[in-house]
Amino acid sequence: MGYVKWAIILIFWGFVGATLHYALPQHDTVRIVNTYEERQELNDWTRMFWATPDDQSATLIDRDVQFIQAVRANGRPIVYRNEDTGWGWPFYFKFDTANLYTEAADKVSPKDNPEWVSVMHYGWRNEFLSIFPNAISVKPVDGPDYSPIPWFNIVFLTLFAAISWAIYVRWRRFRAAKIDPMVESVEDSLYAAGDAIDEKRGRFRRWLDSWKS
Amino acid sequence: MIALFRLLVVLFVVQTIAYVGLSFYSRSVRKRKLAEHWERKEAMKGDKAAFVERGLKRYDQSFRRKLILGVYIVPWVAIVAIIYIRNFM
Repeated sequence: MGYVKWAIILIFWGFVGATLHYALPQHDTVRIVNTYEERQELNDWTRMFWATPDDQSATLIDRDVQFIQAVRANGRPIVYRNEDTGWGWPFYFKFDTANLYTEAADKVSPKDNPEWVSVMHYGWRNEFLSIFPNAISVKPVDGPDYSPIPWFNIVFLTLFAAISWAIYVRWRRFRAAKIDPMVESVEDSLYAAGDAIDEKRGRFRRWLDSWKS
Repeated sequence: MIALFRLLVVLFVVQTIAYVGLSFYSRSVRKRKLAEHWERKEAMKGDKAAFVERGLKRYDQSFRRKLILGVYIVPWVAIVAIIYIRNFM
């Protein structure tokens, strides 16, 4: 029973952690090399890794998606998709996809004369699922060594931990004060009922036994 | 527009649940604190129930209680701020 409990707790917090890692903003310092559009098939379960920029796109099984190709400071490639998040989850309220596409195209730079930018994005790149992080904004930076302090994530995660802890402690206190005594009293009356039945049965047995001799 | 409408409805439902929950919780904390305060001041005369009742009535009219309405206001301020920062700055 203990294993089951811990497995459930582990799965729950693993899910919460994965969701936060997916949805919270991250910053990459990259050099943008190209932008392109490609038609994407969206009719399998990986649909949830693509945005729903407007109402009609919820039912489309394929549509054109913009991409931003970039190279990190260490030379490894990274490709971002560029989609409106609109009014939906995750709550970036990004409506300026076309503007961002223009900005990204404006910042395309060659290898021998690099123009470094910090790309804020959320989401995961996975080659097997063909999913891409969604670029939120680009900002010119001084050089490839730029790495900002993630203030938003620090504040958000601290608040999240504090609120989770506060609710957990209050729930435990509430359970100790209200639910446990109730369960105990139910258990007590169950045991009392069981004892009474045992006693009854004992008497019945004695009465039966009295016929034997 | 449906997406906006869905956000409005879902957020309103969540806010209402949070508002009602926080209101009950905050009132019960106030009630407990009033009772503790009465216990500590041994010299206090009169009825404990009446004291708590009076305190809760004062709490119901207080500004602190109205702060819970922030549950409705703060997310909207945050959303408007995010929309402005994300798209127009």
